[in-house]
Amino acid sequence: MPNLAVKNLLYQLADDQLILGHRNSEWTGFGPILEEDIAFSSMAQDKLGHSLAFYSLLHALGEGEPDTVAFMRNADQFHNCQLVELPIGEYDFSLIRHFLYDNAEILRFEALSQSSHPEIAKIATKLKGEVKYHVLHANTMVKQLGSATAESINRLQNSLDYAFPYALGMFEPSEYGQELHDTGVFIGEAALQTEWLARITLVLEKTSLKLPNVSTIQPVYGGRKGQHTSHLQPLLDEMAEVFKIDPSAEW
Amino acid sequence: MYGGGNVFEATTFDNLAQEDPAQLAQFEARIARGEKIEPTDWMPQLYRKQLIRMIEQHAHSEIIGALPEGAWITRAPGFRRKLAQMAKVQDEVGHAQLLYSAAETLGKTREQMLTDLINGKSKYSNVFNYPAVTWADSNTISWLIDAGAIVNQLANAKGSYGPYCRALDRICAEEAFHLKYGHDAVVHLATGSPIQRSMIQAALNRWWPPIMTFFGPPDKMSTHTETLMRWKVKMATNDACRQQFLDMYVPKIWELGLTIPDPNLHKNEHGEWEYTEPDWAEFKRVINGDGPCNAERLAVRRTSEERGAWVRQALLAPKATYVKPLA
Amino acid sequence: MTQNSSSIDPRVNRLHLETDDHPTPKPALDQLETFEVFHQKKVGAAYTYVGPVHAANEEIAFLFAKEQYSRRAICSGMWVAKTQHVFLSGYADDATSIYDNLPTLSEVPNAAEQSYEIFHLKKRGKAHQHAGSVTARSPLHALYVAKEVLQTSPAVNVWVIASAHVLRQEQDQDMWATTPDKKYREAMAYRVQDKIEKFKAEQKA
Repeated sequence: MPNLAVKNLLYQLADDQLILGHRNSEWTGFGPILEEDIAFSSMAQDKLGHSLAFYSLLHALGEGEPDTVAFMRNADQFHNCQLVELPIGEYDFSLIRHFLYDNAEILRFEALSQSSHPEIAKIATKLKGEVKYHVLHANTMVKQLGSATAESINRLQNSLDYAFPYALGMFEPSEYGQELHDTGVFIGEAALQTEWLARITLVLEKTSLKLPNVSTIQPVYGGRKGQHTSHLQPLLDEMAEVFKIDPSAEW
Repeated sequence: MYGGGNVFEATTFDNLAQEDPAQLAQFEARIARGEKIEPTDWMPQLYRKQLIRMIEQHAHSEIIGALPEGAWITRAPGFRRKLAQMAKVQDEVGHAQLLYSAAETLGKTREQMLTDLINGKSKYSNVFNYPAVTWADSNTISWLIDAGAIVNQLANAKGSYGPYCRALDRICAEEAFHLKYGHDAVVHLATGSPIQRSMIQAALNRWWPPIMTFFGPPDKMSTHTETLMRWKVKMATNDACRQQFLDMYVPKIWELGLTIPDPNLHKNEHGEWEYTEPDWAEFKRVINGDGPCNAERLAVRRTSEERGAWVRQALLAPKATYVKPLA
Repeated sequence: MTQNSSSIDPRVNRLHLETDDHPTPKPALDQLETFEVFHQKKVGAAYTYVGPVHAANEEIAFLFAKEQYSRRAICSGMWVAKTQHVFLSGYADDATSIYDNLPTLSEVPNAAEQSYEIFHLKKRGKAHQHAGSVTARSPLHALYVAKEVLQTSPAVNVWVIASAHVLRQEQDQDMWATTPDKKYREAMAYRVQDKIEKFKAEQKA
């Protein structure tokens, strides 16, 4: 029976992926080297594709059509974490965001592929391979740039310090957490965060970068409950600019 | 994808008489029997220079060509268009990579080519010096500019230089999607709501003049042109390409109920398209820097290169040495 | 100096473009080194040359190669090697073989034996294909060995790469598993003829 807990979970997933995919698509044509430009664009498309899979499932569960749901809601109706809506900044920020986000996403997908909810499990299993590649890319680039020059290390460290509180917002506790856990749909954010910290620590240990001390950081929560930065509404306005010329039209 | 028909700078006609006659004869015989030239073969200076210029300009056209449609990535309406727009513009960056690589086999480095682009020394297809004002402009480019590029690419894919042919084969394979996507988007607009119909008509009115200059000015047949065609560097005249394009696409535009802003455009009794001669003086002004978007196009490229410098620096391995790619 | 001009592209406006009219020329290696990429269409097929990538090392070259050379094409494996590690033979005319004209090898070198991968170009303009591996004591020696054991048809050009220099990625095939599903970038997914016919019919009415 499609219930609020499941729908809420799906919205969080889909909204994260849509907004991050949208942000990373801003790099196409502007990347630091042609080959990385191409790679970033592929991953952005994958994210969009993932969001579409989850919006489609939401639609099957009674929510609106994916285009309507994605293009017609306002910021306070979105359940993405604030991390993904932040502007792309320079490459160091986008790379760090990609690293922090995708190391969490792979864990999320791995957990969800064991979900008691068969449709969710199916999607997660199918798309896991793509996220695995995103993680490989992020880890490889962070390892390289996090140990290379004074400038690259400095930039990445500053971005890591800035992004980290927002990244903790990926694991904002949900009011449905207990229910999702008890019904076997999803193991829960706290478990994910613990494993995520372990994984990113492993990668960062191979660099000159220092992970902020999680116990001293105030996580930036609110995104899951529709509280967003001033960046989200302009993003959505831009995204829907043409769509809203005529939402009922076929484009 | 966006190779404009002509190569924009006049080439000093290198003195072929200074080339080793035996080598030159062997080289020409190889081409005449339909064999490809590969990177380590002997080749006349003129062949090498002309090819570098042509492939390089093609590459620059791709990376700059990514920008007008790139302007609409974040605003593409709906998932289908959003995904496809991202993929299409990504392909353009991909094509630039393939073409720079092909040019590198002839001895010019990617660093030199990108430097010449951002310094304004090297040219790119002039159509991209115009703005994609609306979503419909982007669709018009995706359909009709890609269509023009395909006419060029199919011709050049039969050229003599191996690496360029291999790059063009890969590019042509992806172009089918571009053309279908562009046409699909234009058809949706032209057969859609009144607002959509007027948007595409306005875009077509804006883009028709640049489209008509896409293949370059009418060729003056000179010894130069004749040599380049014998060497299968130039595969078809600009006018022949333009005629082919008009033949294939004007009917497709008209069947959508769209009008083309040239009252003189028609097919004459010999089966040739007649049209108002494009303003080649304007073309020259724009290609030399005086167009609506030239400054922005180059500024975007320069900015991207500058902002990315620290990344490339950090990726550079201490013991790296450059060897030009092989094929 | 930067400018916040009004471009049609909101992304460009957010870039705050630099307006320096005399950018410094790029230094050598700004675009890194090149690596040659080979891919395998399906398990069992020969690895075929697809093109180069500019990258920092083999690991990153693989990531870049995956995106540039297997975005559309279904792929079961990819190999990359530094361009500088590729030993080239000369080029022969089509329908003749470079193996008939190898440079003289007066004696087998004194070096240790190692494995070499051999790639044949069967015709000018086509792409090199993996022909097999040989054991030899130098790249030139490898050509001689290949001539005996691998030459089944004329090769107009041969590449020899020490096996140790070839990075292979063949296990993680789930990376490519969803490639065929991405119809939005396939020409075949776009069908407009019905729409056009319907429109034409409506115009006539």
